[in-house]
Formats: sequence, structure tokens, C-alpha cells
Amino acid sequence: MSIDQPALNRSRSEPPRGAASSHIRNLRIWWREVDRVLLGLIVLLMIISTIAVAAASPASARRLSTSAERLPDLYFFWKHLAWQALALGVLFGASLMSRETARRFALVLGGGMLFFMFLVPFIGTDINGARRWIDLGLRFQPSEFLKPAFAIALAWVFSWRMRDPNLPVRAVSLALTGVVVFLLALQPNFGEAVLFAGVWAVLVMLSGLSFARIGSLLGAGAALITATYFIYDNARHRIDSFLGGGTAFDQVDLAERTLLAGGWTGTGFWLGLKKMRLPEAHTDYIFSVIGEEFGLLACALILCLYLALAARVLMRMIDEDDLFTMLAGSGLTALIVGQAFINMLVNLRLFPSKGMTLPLVSYGGSSTIAMGLMVGLLLAITRRNPFLKRRTAGLAQLMGLGDEPARGRASIRGSAS
Amino acid sequence: MNAMSLMDPLAVRTAHPPISERSQLMSLREEALDTARMRILLLVALFVFIAFLGLMRIVYLGSSDRAYAATTLEEALLPARGEITDRNGVPLARMFPAYSLWFNPDAMGDGGAPLVNSPAYVAAGLKAIFPDMDQAKIEARLASGKAGYLRRRVLPEEANRVQELGELALEMPQEPDRHYPQGSMAAHVLGHVAADGHGRVGMEQVLDERLRDPALRGTPVALSIDMRVQGALEDELERGMKLNDAMGAAGIVLDVDTGEVLALASLPEFNPNKIDQEGASNMFNRVTNQVYELGSTFKPLTVAAAIDAGVVKDFGRRWDAKTVHIGKSRLRDSHSYGETLNVAQTLIHSSNTVTARIADELGAERLRRTMMDLGMHERPYIELPARGHPIWPGEDWPRIRNMTVSYGHGIAVTPLHLASAYAAMVNGGTWRPATLHKLAPGEAPRGRRVFKESTSSRMRQLLRMISIYGTGRNADAPGYRVGGKTGSAEKPGQGGYRRTSLISTFAAAFPMDRPRYVVVTMLDEPRGTVASSYQRTAAWNAAPIVGRLVPRIGPMLGVRPDERRDVDISDLKPLIPGADK
Repeated sequence: MSIDQPALNRSRSEPPRGAASSHIRNLRIWWREVDRVLLGLIVLLMIISTIAVAAASPASARRLSTSAERLPDLYFFWKHLAWQALALGVLFGASLMSRETARRFALVLGGGMLFFMFLVPFIGTDINGARRWIDLGLRFQPSEFLKPAFAIALAWVFSWRMRDPNLPVRAVSLALTGVVVFLLALQPNFGEAVLFAGVWAVLVMLSGLSFARIGSLLGAGAALITATYFIYDNARHRIDSFLGGGTAFDQVDLAERTLLAGGWTGTGFWLGLKKMRLPEAHTDYIFSVIGEEFGLLACALILCLYLALAARVLMRMIDEDDLFTMLAGSGLTALIVGQAFINMLVNLRLFPSKGMTLPLVSYGGSSTIAMGLMVGLLLAITRRNPFLKRRTAGLAQLMGLGDEPARGRASIRGSAS
Repeated sequence: MNAMSLMDPLAVRTAHPPISERSQLMSLREEALDTARMRILLLVALFVFIAFLGLMRIVYLGSSDRAYAATTLEEALLPARGEITDRNGVPLARMFPAYSLWFNPDAMGDGGAPLVNSPAYVAAGLKAIFPDMDQAKIEARLASGKAGYLRRRVLPEEANRVQELGELALEMPQEPDRHYPQGSMAAHVLGHVAADGHGRVGMEQVLDERLRDPALRGTPVALSIDMRVQGALEDELERGMKLNDAMGAAGIVLDVDTGEVLALASLPEFNPNKIDQEGASNMFNRVTNQVYELGSTFKPLTVAAAIDAGVVKDFGRRWDAKTVHIGKSRLRDSHSYGETLNVAQTLIHSSNTVTARIADELGAERLRRTMMDLGMHERPYIELPARGHPIWPGEDWPRIRNMTVSYGHGIAVTPLHLASAYAAMVNGGTWRPATLHKLAPGEAPRGRRVFKESTSSRMRQLLRMISIYGTGRNADAPGYRVGGKTGSAEKPGQGGYRRTSLISTFAAAFPMDRPRYVVVTMLDEPRGTVASSYQRTAAWNAAPIVGRLVPRIGPMLGVRPDERRDVDISDLKPLIPGADK
């Protein structure tokens, strides 16, 4: 018996009668095991995304129209709908996997995408001065697809410690992160590099790095950011404009004007005016467009939705007693919610402009698929047999406030202890 | 089956450690899991904290008045494209909230007929407001039910009358429009803004990025142009062009010390407010883009080069003025003024032969070097995008080419080249690039020295003498101490030069005792008319333009007429027979 083979007593269901019935059975198991609250949050965010892209599409379509070709106002909306449909399919497919399959799939995917990342400097496509894309009939960013695989792979590496505490997991994980960050810095793509480094930092923290080390890690991070500031013009401009308030009418300033133009309740759908002057309205600054048309209250709601998503997954992870699951679930959550928070803070002018999209909400083309894959894997990792009731240490006990917990937390493994 | 394999299926595959180590490993695992749980709690706290920050920020932004400040008066007044002014702040190009007339067949919103009345009735109503409209065409447009512009520019009172037609489908969206309040004045300097929102032809194109930059477009850009001078120049050029029945005219007023262009005109002009077929064909800039053989106006440059090189030391020396024979070619003067001439007489009477002989003595290389120092071998220095390549005779000049260049043939440059060269000749010998940007005091480029100070001083005397005693008399505005040289060059045509079609130029500077401005005027193919006593040469058409222009612009530019002041020519005066009379 193991955790990826649910202990549900399946003898109650009829014996297998062919492929179709086994599919139906699998689906029923999926429905019982999947985190339906999380699924609901994700679907809710995707619905918000559909509306928000519809709101932002005219602004971007007009901005990107040339005298030769005039894009219809809802150009991005229709494309986004198609991408979202595909992403939903990928999401569903990925969430059908068992935890073990998800891990293997992520490792294979990670290997493949890392290979493409190495190829990017040679066969990549340049867009806006950055070489991030690979064109194989369909254009995609390998780093987008590497993200979920990377989090899961790192979690796997850290969980080696469970078998042998002497394995150099930190060195291996650091080397892996270093390679990815280096490849990203070459493109250059600092936003993604920060995310990859961030997920590593989160996982190394969860794996029990001492607080003294965490402190020095924070110091090193600060030093690295300072170094980037002095080495890279792009980073310097962004940080300067953040600290110095920036010149009027730069992107961030336009974004704030857009965000605030609707007041608390917004101008109403398709009635925003400021968004028309905003570059990247459908991607990086979609949060501001939501602010203009649906109001600051809607912005606050979206922020709370992401927080709820993070809290839901993380609190459930506390209940887990498999380190790999804990780390993989937390890592994926940190990636999604971390990127979302950074994007929203940029829009609220609490963070320097990073060139990051709002995950699940922004228009993204092929990266919408990558995001679907990511949440699909998260759903797969967090699948749990609802009939396996664990009696884990409560939060109070964890903090040493409550009674001494009984030895053998999970009722099903009492026999061995 | 034990607890370990329950927890981690992979562990089963590892070799079983001894019991004591196993229990140690077990406790290590429990510890690791507990730590991870605590750390996940920390992570949750971190996310809660960030979300709290974000929410506080939203509350702060929402309750602050920044939402209202987002639409400031300043922003409302910020033009969609920056203003252009002249050097004194007179607006030359500004944004103007104009109306346009747009046909929106869906305005009624009921899916029925787009118009209340019949298309014929509405078209007739529009025709009554806009008499130049094609009624049949508009009626067809309205009947077709296709959205589109009916008219790009509508005046406010016209907009009111269109409103009175009571048709919802006739919309009048406000569109910021580029307006040139001075009409066609300085059109070649300004250019225009095309339908794509980008500037074309003139400074609109050069400054396009600057004018559209939201951070900068609030402040107007000042050009070096002085609108009063520009107006006078265009007025006089137009008058001269009409009097002499010329094809076109060009003129430039240049500050000799800074290179700033005070006025630049190319006639016929176009109206940047309304670009049509005819206007588009007139966008060609004769001052900076068209190259001409400018003829005798080059003679002072040759003489200056010769003085500078020490070839002309004795102004009393008499030069042979007979026809020059080089191989099969003969170089002649149009009129004979005697067997020999001195340098002053050469310029006064504009003698080709003596200038050619001076150049011959100077040598091709030294003349070529001077011409290159004056920038005659490359496109003129100015910001405008339309700048013509000179026709430059290349490296090794044969003797005959040296001689023809000396009096302005076999080399074709723009009038702007000539103006910059004259500025260098009279300002003490320093060549500076021309500019259309207003320069603050002390901002003038250092330039490069072409002539010695002493040469420049001699040239001021000689140029002044031409307009006192010679072909430039018609330009001698009393009290303004004008000095300048005429040039009447035959236009090249099929099979040699055409004797009847001329380019007549007058290149002048004033006041000669301390030159401030260079004025170059040029007429393209003037005809002999009553006004020019049936003459085609510059003395009778281009020079009088300068003679009339200088008294108009002098006072505006701070040059007062003064009969008692002049450049001292007493040492050269005895060389001119009859000058004392």
C-alpha cells in the first residue's frame, strides 16, 4: 500500500468491464480526490481572466494595429478564448495524473525544456530585443514550461534527504538553479530568473535551512540585486524609475492612472478610457485595466482570491506527511502566487516594474497553456484520498502550545510504531 | 509492511540500515517534516503579510485624492503633439481641437435605416453647409450605409449647422488636428503631419520623436526662424518672382556668427494645413535640396582663396582680361571692360577671364581645398531631411575645370551652401554649420577656420564696392551698408548651356562694417520684363529683391540704417576709375 495508490476500497464499484467504464471510474476517483476548492478558485480566476482580457483587448488591439493591418477590437479576446480552452484541457489532463506519474512527467518535461533552454541562444527567436522563444511551428517560451517542472524537480531533489540524510541535496539544487538562472539571464529575462531563484529559496527554507543561513541568503539576494542594478542598464532604469517616482507618462505612471481612473466601483465594462493609452494592457497591466473598469474593490477581491489559493494549498500541505508532496505543492503555489503578487504590487507601485504577467488572468498565448499545465500539476500533487483521515499534529501542538501528540499520527500507520 | 515504506515508497528500494540507524533516520524524518510544517506556516504568514500590504495600498490609493489627480488640468491641456514656435515664441504649429464629420450608420441602434430623412435630403442639407461637397457622391455614400469620414475638417459653426440637420448618424468626433496659424509661411521649414500622425518633410519630421514624447511635448520647441523676417523674405521673393515671371524663387537669411537660419523660403510654397496634389509637388525645397550652378557668386570665394594664399597681394596689379584659350575651349566675358583689370574691377564688373586667371595662378589644389573647407563637396549642414548632394568635380581637377569652378560653373551646390560660405567669408573667416534650432548665447558651434581675419576684412571691402560701383548697385539699400555679388548662370540643358534660361542669384551680407546677416536670393528662370528693364541678369532681378528686403528686416534684427557709417574702402577706392565722382 502506498500513497499514490489510494486506499479507497474499490471493491464496492463494479469489476472492470472495459476501457470506457474504467475511464468513468477513473474520473469518479479523480472527482473524489481532487481539491475541489482549489479547482473552483482556479476556474473562477480563469473566468475573471476571460472578462478582463475582453476589457483590455480593444486597447491593445488598437495600439498594435498598423496602418497596413487593423486588428479588430476583440482580436485578443477571441484568441484568448481559444488558448483558455486548450489550457483547460491541459489542466484537466495533467490533474488526472497520479502524484507519482506527475513527478515522472515533470522530470521528463523539465529535462526536455532545459534542453530547449540551451538551444534558445542558438535557434531562438528575437522579440523586442530578448531571445526567449523557440519556434517549432508553434512559438513557445521553454522557460514557461520549465517552471512547473522545475518546482517539482527541486522538491524531488530535496526529498532525497528522506532516504539518506547525507545526500548533498542543497548543492545539487543550487547547481540546478544556477544553470537555469544563468540561461535566463542570457536571454535576458530577469523576471523569470527572480522567480526561479525565489522558488529555490522557498524550498530550501522549507527543507529546514537554519535561520542564520536564511539571513545570509537574504543578504546575498540583496547583494545580487544591487549588482544587477549596477551591471544591467535595464534593471537600473526600472529601479531608478521606481525609487525616483519615474518620469511622468512612463508605463508605471500610465498604469497607476488607469488603475485609479475607475474609483472604488469602476467605470463599467468597456467604458474605460485611460486603458487606451496603456501599453501592454492585456498582459503586464491587466490588473490596472480591471481597476479602471471594475473598480478597486474588484482588485482587492482578486488579490484575496490569490491569497485564498495560497492559503488553501499551503494549509493542506501542512497536513501531508510526505516531504516531496509538501515541497512540490508549496513550490508550485509559491511560483503561481508569488508571480501574481509581484505583478499586482507592480501595478500598485509597490514594486519596481518587472515585466511579469498576472498568472491565470493575463493574456498569454502559449504561456496560458504552460499555466494550465502548472495548475494541473498542482491539482495532481494535491490529490488526496478523502477517506484517508490523518490525525496530524494540530497547529497548536506544532507550536508547542497544546498537549503532547500521541505517537503515530496517522491512524493507518499505527501498527508499525 | 512498515511505516517507512508507507511514508516513502522509494525507501523500500534502499538497503536496510541497522535498527539503531533506522530509528535515528525515523526521528530525523519526523523532525524534517515538523520543520517543513513550521516553515510552511511561515510561508503562509509571508503571503498574508504581502496581501495585507497590497490591500492597505488599495485602500490608501482608493481613499486618497490621487484618483482625481489622475486627470489633471495639466494633462488635459497637454497637446497631443508639441508646439513649434519661432525664435520669439510666435506659434508656427500647434494642436487644434477640430471636428470631423463621420458617418455612423449604426448610430440609431435599431437596425433600421441609418438616416431619419432620405439620403438625398441629407446630402442636399450637407451641400448647403459645405458648398464644395459633391452632392451625388455624398448621397451615394449615405445610401450605401458604410461608415466612414464624410469630411476631415469641420469648423465649429459648420458643426452646429450639421447638428441642426437632426441626423444621429452624422457624428462629429473631436480630433486634435495640426494647425499652422501662419498658413503657408515657412512651410518648407515646418513640413506637415501626415495621416499616420508622423511629421513629414521639415522640422515636423526631424523633431517627430521629441514632439510626440509625452514628457517633453508640454514645452514648445523654438526654431531659429524669425517669423517677421520670414514674412518679409517670402513677400519680397514672391513679388520678385511675379515681376520677373520666374518659375520659382528661393531665399535664405543666415546669422553669420552662429549659423542660425532666420528665414528660409522656397517658392512656390505649399499649405501644410491642406496638402493637395499641387502642394505635394511644391514640397521640394530649392534652398537645401536643389543644386544649381550658381555662377559669378563664386568669384568672391575664388578671390578670397587667392588673397588668403598670397596669390593676390598687390591690389593694383592689373590682370590680363582677354579671352582665355585652353585647348579648344575659350572663356570669354560678356562685356569687355578693357585689356586689363585689377582685382577690385574684376569683381565689380564680374569678369570671368580674370577670375579664371587668378584661379589658374592659385592652382587647382588650393581652390579645391578652400571649396572643401567651405563644405561644397558634401550635403549642406542643416537639420532638414531634404538635402541635395552637390555635383562636385571630384579629386584631380584639370586646368579648365579649375578655371570654370572659379566663376561658379562645373560645380553645382545648393543656395544654402552659398549662404554658409558667404557667412564664413565675411564673419572673420570661420565656417559654421547652419541650424534651424534657436541657439542660446554662447551655444554657437566653434566652427572651422577657412580664411584669415585679414582676408575676411578685405572681402568686406570688396563686396561692399561691388554694391556701390558694380553689378550689385540695385541691392544697395541706403544706410544698411549692403555688400554682395550677383550671379547669373545659364541652366544646363540638352547639348550645353541654354542661353535663355538663367539662374540669377544675389548673395549679400549686411551691414558690411560689421556683418551680421547673410541674405541669398535666387530666381529660377526669370524672364526679361518691364520691371527688370527687359534684363534677365541678377543685377536686375535678384539684387533688387535684396535691396527691398534689407530695409524691411534690418530694423527687426537690430540693424539701424546709418548713412555716416560704412566699411572703410579708402585704400581701394583709387583703383576704381571715376569712383571719386
